[in-house]
Amino acid sequence: MRRDLGLWAIFLVVVAAVPWTFVGGDRYLMFLANVMLMFMTMALSWDVVARTGQLSLAHGAFFGLGAYSVAIAFKLWALPPLVGLVFAAIVVAGIAFALGLVTLRLRGIYFAIATLAFAEVWRTVALQIPDLSGGTVGIAMPPLFGGDRVASYYVIGAIFTLSLALSLAVRWSRWQYAVTAVRANENVARVMGLDVVRVKVGLFTASATFAALAGAFYMPFITHTDPFDAFDIGRSVSALVFPIFGGLYTSAGPVIGTIVMRSLEEYLRVTPPWKDGYQVVYGLVIVIAVLFLPRGVVGLAERYVGRLPWHFSR
Amino acid sequence: MALLEVTGLVRRFRGLAAVDDLSFTVEEGKTLAIIGPNGAGKSTTFDLISGLLPAHGGTIHLRGADVTRAAAHTRTHAGLGRTFQVVQPFLDLDVQDNVMVGALFGSDRGGGLAAARAEARRLCAFVGLGEHLHRPVSSLTLGDRKRLELARALATKPALLLLDEVMEGLTPAEERDAVALLGRIRAEGVTLLLIEHVMSTVRDLSDRVVVMDYGKRLAEGTYAQISRDPKVIQAYLGTEELP
Repeated sequence: MRRDLGLWAIFLVVVAAVPWTFVGGDRYLMFLANVMLMFMTMALSWDVVARTGQLSLAHGAFFGLGAYSVAIAFKLWALPPLVGLVFAAIVVAGIAFALGLVTLRLRGIYFAIATLAFAEVWRTVALQIPDLSGGTVGIAMPPLFGGDRVASYYVIGAIFTLSLALSLAVRWSRWQYAVTAVRANENVARVMGLDVVRVKVGLFTASATFAALAGAFYMPFITHTDPFDAFDIGRSVSALVFPIFGGLYTSAGPVIGTIVMRSLEEYLRVTPPWKDGYQVVYGLVIVIAVLFLPRGVVGLAERYVGRLPWHFSR
Repeated sequence: MALLEVTGLVRRFRGLAAVDDLSFTVEEGKTLAIIGPNGAGKSTTFDLISGLLPAHGGTIHLRGADVTRAAAHTRTHAGLGRTFQVVQPFLDLDVQDNVMVGALFGSDRGGGLAAARAEARRLCAFVGLGEHLHRPVSSLTLGDRKRLELARALATKPALLLLDEVMEGLTPAEERDAVALLGRIRAEGVTLLLIEHVMSTVRDLSDRVVVMDYGKRLAEGTYAQISRDPKVIQAYLGTEELP
């Protein structure tokens, strides 16, 4: 565990140093770096819920709710974006807590469908209350730190670090045993003395809060939100594809998965000849990864290098 | 005060009473065995006592406290442990980690990871899994899985341990080991409540026997008494006498 902590410390130093490299002077690359940290936060938080055996498709909606919370707080009370982050976290934590209680007894595919339904409802809600949400036009906001992408990078970097801390804390504490037991067999977990409600709803709420923070960051970062962008189901899909590709139930998996998949996606998007059909190629990569890397990149590495230091240490 | 007192317990499935006005008492240190034909409602009774199923009627008192509506984990914290008829290990965890779950969250929780690990090792050695601490659970024999099931339940530090057919599927040699192990568990001060089909186990281990049939209590008494009870013989074995 101490060695793992050291590796993560080095990783965080590297992350913090990125703006001081050639990346810092390039607005396009800094944009990608910001978005990369944002998706890492999403992937890490999604994985924490997955560890309890729940496949959430609501994380894109928590992201969108975070974005709208900041935007509406700005519109109504001129709340500055950094205060808006806290506001969004509180609002979405409350919503996620309620959703967690309602969907508590659902497992596997039924939980996934319930969270998908939840995610789809919010776009309609946003369209139906134009006075508050701005309708199809959405809400605009002045850019975060006047468009300084290095400053914003450290804001999302701090959020990412907190989500990483949550992921590692679950891994290195008794929570690791709790989530693994709940995932394997809820009834046995209950008989072992585990408060399954607390484990599931607690982690679901904590996880949703980080997805909301990612959205609450994104909104002022790109200065605009509308129902179709904020509640894009694609973001829910990304939040689950990245950890699955990288390696489920680990902290390194979601991080590595996001770096590889986001880079690949961006490369395909801007590079001919992939440009036009990049989503097809991207989709193929996902299918191949799921078929041939059941435990993701981390699992593949473990098979060839042996037990990696970030693997759940005994 | 009785360790466990079950009074008028009822559980229906779609109108059919699987457990019907069942009452019995477990005294501290006295092993009670529940026997009965398949479908008599024995495992359902365990699910009701451990809190995995809500009761439709009656009460369950653990050391005098009413736990009829308590959540399963609260009952575990109050000193109730159980094993399952079909062993259900956590497949993603190795042997030691399986047992650690009970130590971390059972009635003696709060000791931290190191204490739980030490307790898990002690219990693995106690049930005879000391050599297999880091084996993946999927590679264990059925006998060893039963031992794991026991170790994990013991890790929750129960005062009363519900054992659902621990002998099922064991070889005769494993059965003898298991009876000896249950004797050692009893000697540690854990009261046993057994569901058992193997009559020699019932005879060797139980102080009292409750016979269930169609969800009701058909008879209660010592092994000698119930094995001569004509009602029991008819319901349970047809016409032959118990060994």
